[in-house]
Amino acid sequence: MTAPLIIDPDAYRRQSPEVAARFEKLKQRPIILEVDKLRKEFDSAHGSHVAIEEISFQVRRREFVCVLGPSGCGKSTLIRILAGLDFPTGGDVRLDGKTVRGPGSDRGMVFQGYTLFPWLTVKQNVMFGLKVGGKPGHLAESEAREWIALVGLSKFENHYPHQLSGGMKQRVAIARALANNPRILLMDEPFGALDAQTRAQMQSYLMQIWRQIDVTILFITHDLDEAVYLADRILVLGANPGRVMELIENPVPQPRTPEQFQSEPFQALRARLDALIHPPSLHKEDKLPLTRMTVVGDDVI
Amino acid sequence: MRRSPLIPFAPLSPRLRACLGWGSFLLPLMVWCAVSYVPVLWHPMVRIQDRGDITYLQPGQLIDRHTLARENARIEAIGGTPATGKRSNPIFLPAPHEVGTALYRAFKTPPRRANEPWFHESIGHSIRIIFTGFVWSSIIGLPLGILCGVYGSVSRLTEPVVDFIRYMPAPAFGALAVAILGIHDAPKVAIIFIGTFFQQILVVANTTRKMDPSLIEAAQTLGAKPRHLLFKVVLPGIASDLYNDMRILLGWAWTYLVVAEYIGASSGITFFINQQARYRNYDNVFAAILIIGIIGFVTDRILDDLRLAVFPWKSEGKKPLLFRFLVRNPPPPAGDAA
Ligand SMILES: Nc1ncnc2c1ncn2[C@@H]1O[C@H](COP(=O)(O)OP(=O)(O)OP(=O)(O)O)[C@@H](O)[C@H]1O
Ligand SMILES: [Mg+2]
Repeated sequence: MTAPLIIDPDAYRRQSPEVAARFEKLKQRPIILEVDKLRKEFDSAHGSHVAIEEISFQVRRREFVCVLGPSGCGKSTLIRILAGLDFPTGGDVRLDGKTVRGPGSDRGMVFQGYTLFPWLTVKQNVMFGLKVGGKPGHLAESEAREWIALVGLSKFENHYPHQLSGGMKQRVAIARALANNPRILLMDEPFGALDAQTRAQMQSYLMQIWRQIDVTILFITHDLDEAVYLADRILVLGANPGRVMELIENPVPQPRTPEQFQSEPFQALRARLDALIHPPSLHKEDKLPLTRMTVVGDDVI
Repeated sequence: MRRSPLIPFAPLSPRLRACLGWGSFLLPLMVWCAVSYVPVLWHPMVRIQDRGDITYLQPGQLIDRHTLARENARIEAIGGTPATGKRSNPIFLPAPHEVGTALYRAFKTPPRRANEPWFHESIGHSIRIIFTGFVWSSIIGLPLGILCGVYGSVSRLTEPVVDFIRYMPAPAFGALAVAILGIHDAPKVAIIFIGTFFQQILVVANTTRKMDPSLIEAAQTLGAKPRHLLFKVVLPGIASDLYNDMRILLGWAWTYLVVAEYIGASSGITFFINQQARYRNYDNVFAAILIIGIIGFVTDRILDDLRLAVFPWKSEGKKPLLFRFLVRNPPPPAGDAA
C-alpha cells in the first residue's frame, strides 16, 4: 500500500471548491450545541485532578463532528457532560441556546458497551424511549419497527440482545437512540469493541443513516481513519489536562467512500492528525527501558 | 486435543453433568445400602433369635455383638446353651427398604389418638407455617431491601441495625414470641419471619446494588424519569437475580422449620418426628426427615424450571421442562453477519 507522499504539512488546509462551498453552507446553519469554556476537575484522595482544562466549540445542525484524542484526554468525560450524566466544574453546555442541566431525550447517546436492556427484545429496547416519553403502545411499536428496519434488523426484532452479534447490538443501540428523535446523537467510541471488518461495515451504515435522517452527530474515537472517514469537522484534543489542540475542517469531499482512503486530501489530513496525536518528541518516551534478555542472533532485529 | 478437566471453570459435557447429578444421589444411597445389607461392613448388633440359657435376653432384642460374645462365653463355660441371633444394625439406622415402606405407611396409618393429625396433615401444617412466615417477610423485606440497594440514605438508615440484629439467632426469640403471641401458630410464624427477614433485606439490597449502572445511564439518556428508572429499569433488571435470592432464602426458611415447631405447642412434622422417636419407630423418623428434604428439593427444582420460562434472557440456552408452555416461540439463534 503506497500512500502518496505528503510534503506540505499544511496540505490538509487546502479545500477543493466544492468542499469549501459546503463548509460555507454549513456555517449558515443554526447552532445546535454550544460548549463554552468547559472545565472538569475530579476530586480524589491525592487532591483534585483536572480532566478537562478548557474546551469550547460549536456544532451546527446536521453536522458530523468527531472528537479525536489520545487515551485519557477526557473524551468520555466531555461526552458524559454533554449528555448530562456528569456535571462540569466550570463553563456551560447549551443545546439550542438552553443550558443543559441533566440527561434528557433531546440528546441520544450510544455507549461503547452496547448497554441494551438484556430483559427486553430488540423491539422492546427500541420502544423504551418512546414509551417513557408517553407514546401509546401501538404507535411506539410501529415507530420502533421503522427504526429497526432502518438499521436492517427487521428479522431480529423479537430476539434478545444476548442472541445478537456485537455489530447488531450496536445497530439496535443506534436505532434506540434515534427513535427519540434527538437533536444530537452522542457516540462514545461506539465501534471500539468491534473487529476491523465489522467496524468498517458499521461506519458505512452510520454514514448512510446520517444522510437519510435529520440528525446531528458528535462521535468520539481514537481511530484516525475513522475520524477522517466520518467527520465534517474534527476536534482534536490533547491530554494532561484535556484541551482543544485544533478544530479541523475535513477536506475530503462528501459523500464518503472507502476508495477515498487513498486520496490526497485524506492522506494529508491523516498525516496532520498523526502529527497532532503522536508528536515527534513523544516517540522517544514511547521506547520502553528494556534490558536485552536474549542471545543476540541475526534472525531477530 | 481435549481441554484438561483440571483447568478452573472448565465446562462439562451435558452427559457428564447428568451422570454426576444422578451420581450425587446414588452414591450416598449405595453407601447406605451397603451398610444396611452387607453384614460384614458394620452391623455391630445382634438381633436375638434363640436366647439359649441367657435368661435375661428376649427374642427380638438387640444386643451389642461383643457383649453377647462375652455372655455366651460365660454361659458356655458353665455348660449352658449360648444365645443365637442375626447380626444387624442399631435401631437408629433402618435399612432403605424399611424407610421406604415407612414413607408409604406413614401416609396410610391413622393417628394413634383421635386428636392427633394424620401425617399429611402434619406436613400441610408445616408448609403453611413456612409459607406464611416467608410471605410476611417478603412483603416487607423485598421492597425495603430494594430501596436499601437503590438509595444510599435508606441503606444507611436500615442496614447497620439489621446487620446487628441478624447475628441474634432467631430461636433465641422463641420464649419471647410465645409470651407475646401465644402457644399456637403465631410464634412459629414469627420465628420463620425473624430468621428470614433480616437476611433478606441484606441479600436483596446487595443484589440490587449489583445492577449495571450503565443501564441506568442509558435509560436516562432515553428520557427516563426516576420512577421509570425504578420500575422499568432497576426492577426488571434485578428480577431474575432476586428470584434466585428468594429461592435460596426459602431454603433457609426451611432450616428454621424444626426450631419453630418446637416452640409453644409442638406441631407439624416436628411433632410427628418426636412422637415416632418416642415410640422408637426410627424408620418413621427417617421417613419424615426425608419428606422435608424432598418437599424442599422438589419445590426448588420447580422454581428453577419456572425461572427458565420467566427469564428467558438469563437461561443460558437451557429450556424449561415443566413450564415449556409459558415460552413463546423462541426465535432461531442469530446467524446474520455484523
Ligand atoms: N470518575 C472519575 N473520577 C476520577 N477521575 C476520573 C473519573 N473519570 C475520569 N477520570 C480521569 O479523567 C481523565 C479523562 O478520562 P476519560 O475517561 O474522559 O478519558 P478518555 O479520553 O475517554 O480515555 P479513553 O480513550 O481511554 O476512553 C483520566 O485521567 C481519568 O483518570
Ligand atoms: Mg473513553
